[in-house]
Amino acid sequence: MPQLVPFYFLNQLTYGFLLITVLLVLFSQYFLPMILRLYVSRLFISKL
Amino acid sequence: MLNLLNTYINSPLDQFEIRVFLGFVSPFYDLSCLSFTTFSLYTLIVLSVILGLNLLTNNNGKIVGSRWLVSQEAIYDTILNMVKGQISGKSWGYYFPLIYTFFIFIFTANLISMIPYSFALTSHLVFIVSLSTIIWLGATITGFYRHGLVFFSLFVPTGTPLPLVPLLVLIELLSYIARAISLGLRLMANILAGHLLMIILAGLTLNLMSINIFTLVFGFVPLAGILAILCLEFAIAMIQSYVWAILTCSYLKDSLYLH
Repeated sequence: MPQLVPFYFLNQLTYGFLLITVLLVLFSQYFLPMILRLYVSRLFISKL
Repeated sequence: MLNLLNTYINSPLDQFEIRVFLGFVSPFYDLSCLSFTTFSLYTLIVLSVILGLNLLTNNNGKIVGSRWLVSQEAIYDTILNMVKGQISGKSWGYYFPLIYTFFIFIFTANLISMIPYSFALTSHLVFIVSLSTIIWLGATITGFYRHGLVFFSLFVPTGTPLPLVPLLVLIELLSYIARAISLGLRLMANILAGHLLMIILAGLTLNLMSINIFTLVFGFVPLAGILAILCLEFAIAMIQSYVWAILTCSYLKDSLYLH
């Protein structure tokens, strides 16, 4: 199978884990807190 | 008559082949790991799709969001409830961003791979099994960090008769180690098999339909079948990302609270 050529193993791992790391930083620092802030502000407006 | 006989279909495995677009050469180091390949291109596409969806839907932080934000909130709520339900207790919030990232990444990569002539990131054994092994290793280290040697009690189910303990420990240990591979293999095998099935059936139908006018008309019957399989593949693409997320939660829960 072409995907099992060892030459590409490190290439896949380098780019794949780089993507996962970038996504993890973006989600935990920016996007998920943004949705949480939105929920909290809605809660303050409607119930508190 | 349609001139489909001249249409040449390569090996079904061609769609998974990695091609180098831009290579870097250095006399001192082997820089092949940094080459810009099909895999790198699709990691960039996945990143830009996820970034685009998240940046365009936030509506500049207004409280009343756009309609697109509703979809993001639905995904957020689904994963939040799943993580809260699976990893109960106090510490589920620590792991929520990790599970959410895995879900969104696999979900987007699977759906992008459903575009004809595109590339399936998640069908690559080396990458996906490495990812699952790292999750398993992380969960095991968390378990040892939290419980010390008591972590080994995970291998003895409660209420086991004493004579059966050595055998059960062996079986449980094997099943625990197999988790490292099985988590990634499940996703990879599903996506690989689905893409292979679609291209093989489509190639057969194309050959059938190109024989004469009768087979051209009759060929719509297997074509409808392929359409059904296509719908199934879309479902698998979404379900597998959810399965990955729920299993990661379950492994983390085992490490955090043992039984």
